[in-house]
Amino acid sequence: MREVNRFYNPVIVIRLAMLVFCGALFFLGFVLWHIQVKDTAEYSSSLDRQSIRRVRVVGARGRITDRNGALLAGNRPSYCLAVYIEEVRQPGRWGNTVAEVERILHELSAVIDLPVNVSSDDILRHIQRRLPLPFVAWRDISPRALALWAESPQAFPGVDIHVEPVRLYPEKGLMGHVIGHIGRADLVAAGETGYHFYEPEMEGKLGVERSFNDVLSGVSGGRLIRVDASGMKHEEVAWREPQSGLDLRLTLDSEVQQMLETALRGLRGAAVLLDVNSGDIIALASEPVFDPNMFSVPLSSADYRELVQDQGRPLFNRSVNAYPPGSIIKPLMGLAIVGSGRVSISTEIHCGGVFHVGNHPFHCWRRSGHGSLSLRASLAQSCNVYYYQSSLTAGYDSIYHMAAASGIGRVTGIRLPGESAGLLPDDAWKRRRNPRDGWRAGDTCNVSIGQGALLVTPLQMAVLTAAIANGGTIYRPRISFAEPEAMVSSRPAWSAPVLQEVRRGMYDSVQSERGTGRRARVAGISMAGKTGTAQYGPAHEGRKHAWMVAYAPYEVPRYAMAIIIEDAESGGLDAAPRVQQVMSQILERDGAVRTGGRG
Amino acid sequence: MNWSWFWRHIKRMNWVMTLLVLIMLVLGVLFIYSACYVSDDRPVRTLYLRQMVWIAAGMAAYFTLGVTDYRILRRWSWWFCGVSLILLVMVLLIGTVVYGAQRWLMIFGMGVQPSELAKLAAIVVVAGVLGRTGGDVASWKVFGLVLLIGGLFVLLILQQPDLGTAIVFLPPIFMMMLVAGVPWQRLAAIALLGVVGITVLLAAVFLPEKMGMPEETQVRFIRMVGLSPYHRDRLRVFVSPDSDPLGAGWNKRQSEIAVGSGGLHGKGFLKGTQNVLGFLPRSVAPTDFIFSVIAEEKGFIGSLFVLTGMGMILLLGLQMAVNAPDMFGRLICTGVMTLFFCHVFINIAMTVGVMPVTGLPLPLLSYGGSFTMVILSSLGIMQSVHVHSRRVSRLTLG
Repeated sequence: MREVNRFYNPVIVIRLAMLVFCGALFFLGFVLWHIQVKDTAEYSSSLDRQSIRRVRVVGARGRITDRNGALLAGNRPSYCLAVYIEEVRQPGRWGNTVAEVERILHELSAVIDLPVNVSSDDILRHIQRRLPLPFVAWRDISPRALALWAESPQAFPGVDIHVEPVRLYPEKGLMGHVIGHIGRADLVAAGETGYHFYEPEMEGKLGVERSFNDVLSGVSGGRLIRVDASGMKHEEVAWREPQSGLDLRLTLDSEVQQMLETALRGLRGAAVLLDVNSGDIIALASEPVFDPNMFSVPLSSADYRELVQDQGRPLFNRSVNAYPPGSIIKPLMGLAIVGSGRVSISTEIHCGGVFHVGNHPFHCWRRSGHGSLSLRASLAQSCNVYYYQSSLTAGYDSIYHMAAASGIGRVTGIRLPGESAGLLPDDAWKRRRNPRDGWRAGDTCNVSIGQGALLVTPLQMAVLTAAIANGGTIYRPRISFAEPEAMVSSRPAWSAPVLQEVRRGMYDSVQSERGTGRRARVAGISMAGKTGTAQYGPAHEGRKHAWMVAYAPYEVPRYAMAIIIEDAESGGLDAAPRVQQVMSQILERDGAVRTGGRG
Repeated sequence: MNWSWFWRHIKRMNWVMTLLVLIMLVLGVLFIYSACYVSDDRPVRTLYLRQMVWIAAGMAAYFTLGVTDYRILRRWSWWFCGVSLILLVMVLLIGTVVYGAQRWLMIFGMGVQPSELAKLAAIVVVAGVLGRTGGDVASWKVFGLVLLIGGLFVLLILQQPDLGTAIVFLPPIFMMMLVAGVPWQRLAAIALLGVVGITVLLAAVFLPEKMGMPEETQVRFIRMVGLSPYHRDRLRVFVSPDSDPLGAGWNKRQSEIAVGSGGLHGKGFLKGTQNVLGFLPRSVAPTDFIFSVIAEEKGFIGSLFVLTGMGMILLLGLQMAVNAPDMFGRLICTGVMTLFFCHVFINIAMTVGVMPVTGLPLPLLSYGGSFTMVILSSLGIMQSVHVHSRRVSRLTLG
């Protein structure tokens, strides 16, 4: 026994143990220094990554006003009742918390007298996807419900008011197609990624709400929320105020717009009224119109279906839709044909009511014929044969190039979504549709009276009419003061004498007793214009759009206008009286302003 | 029993040790409170109060055992050992399953962990065997007996299964044999066996997977060496921490973030976000991961304070072993201090990610009734050794 323990001393073993233990603790101290002092930043950032949630907060949308500052689109606060899940959480499974939220909602429902319209699935989905944000149970509640909740003796912990801005259009449907509407944004804007949660953002879906969305929508702010391990909001760490969007002032005049919409009420059609000297749009209407307020709050699918399936297609902006122009294209044809040099201002053409191209008869609207007439008379009486024959003399090339230079077949560039370019057909276009078929003389005849494949938009015709009135400047129509003033789109090479003759013809069309547009005449003022009755669809159905373009006053033009009424009898009967109605009201108003200025 | 006798003994106790123990206990209560005060459950929120009750009971045992002559334990050690073994068997038969392991025994409505009691029982009985006056430490009989006792405890606890607790039995027994003077060749053989054993274990756990064997075959190999797939997951997390960050790796990752984000000064008492936000699970924050809470809220300075306190207790305790009046006392002190050290080291190493996650609590700081009682009783027995040592008192009988 002694032998075995010869080299053995228990005290030394214990002292060694002391050394080993202390060494081990020193090692732990070193490791702790490493992660707590040296690399602490790394761990702190891991901590933030797992517990900080960024929530984007959307800025208020800018307001839209008319040219005089009348409010067309603004925001109103909408009071919502929201449940703050973190305050009503229940231990155990999420189902317990969902049940608790449902219980609170049912109690609350009895107090505020509103039915519960969220399901337990909605609550669960909110918990799964947007837990740190309040769960909105009732959106946009009435002041009565709000008062009932506020005065309820029953305490509802975890329930509070949540204010959301709601887009408000105080003029209801007025200018609906210009203003457009907003809706839930589909995509997250560029540079806005990196958030964990996005408060619902509305973006413009139609009208200037859409085309000026960048101006109107603000700069998003954000909130930093610290969440706990289950994802519940723990506290708000930081807050960056969102910036409101800029206001948008339109060139449109609510009063004039009202006149225009009244004139179209109950019909299907569109009308555009321009300032001839700047291309500013004073009014732009399309009927039937919709109330953009419908889209400000989540639209029920039934409502949406009704809007979309409505035969009148109220969401469709007719003012930028392409239609066959009919006779309202004749002033431009006159400019092109006589401008070609092959036909002179005084050239008279005999109209016997029909014109033959080969074996095919092309009729004038007056079967008995107009007799001999020159450019001026052809416009006043809207003779077709004059255009059939002179267009063939001038050749389609000169017509095509002048029409293209005058903006036909090309978008005007108005800042409204969905603008159609219309269609200016030519040989190439025809061959694209049918390679074995080329441009024929009959095609030229059809286009010369605004039929055939030619398509224009009411806006294009208003812009063209303004150009005739202002001496030949095609403006890019301006809809808001956010755009530069009087943007010139083109100055087609119209000869001044021909233009003068065309104006006279348009003057006669309204002011002479035989003029087709005489029903547009406004007492005490002279106006120039041109009516049109465009046939469309299969010939045997005899469907027609009624058109009129006009500008006034004739001597010092100020307003140009184009109007179309779908499925009507004729331009002279259906469109002209409405031009008269609108023009007389505007000019009367302007007269009153002038009188006031003098007095 | 008269009071003057009692006070004489009390006064002879090592008061620095008592003070250090009390400081650690107070610290423990404070941070158990911090770990639980945001909990939704009232029982969890008031865990610190229950810990205070356990501490009161534990301190009563500490002082009682401190004034009692530890040598009577030698007489009772076999009873103590027998009761522990019976309880360990009972826990396997009627124990409560918590987190997949059968560790708890309900006695009078209180949860008791027999494996904690067994730690002290094993130390006392082995000390009794090795420190027997006139016994032959070098004999194969004694050696075999010690191995038998140790093996019995380890095997029973492995059945729960509780690998961490089972492994923590081995160093104290080994250390006691070393101090008692068991021939070094045998100890070296044990150490070698240990290394080989661990290698075989690791091979059984990881090799089949590395060799691309199907899951069932892997599990069969793992079961063959007495482990379960649950151990493999824990070990795998330790080897490659990011393999399962939401599962088995969660606690380790969150504990590291807690400790690391504490920085030099910490976030302040009650302000540890990892803990308040529940990333450090509330089920382990007051128990196995109490050090993470302290390190997060008090920073590196707090960590060092705890390490220093633990280090001083270890040094004082081992000095008691040096000064012990007999081999029995010396072995008890050595065994208890080795156990204490293993708990401190493994626990802290686990919270900072340098050791795999095992359910070993931090002595004096972690919440836990049985363990607090056992540790305070053990320290009480050491105080008794100290009180009766020659250098300190003349109470010692020759």
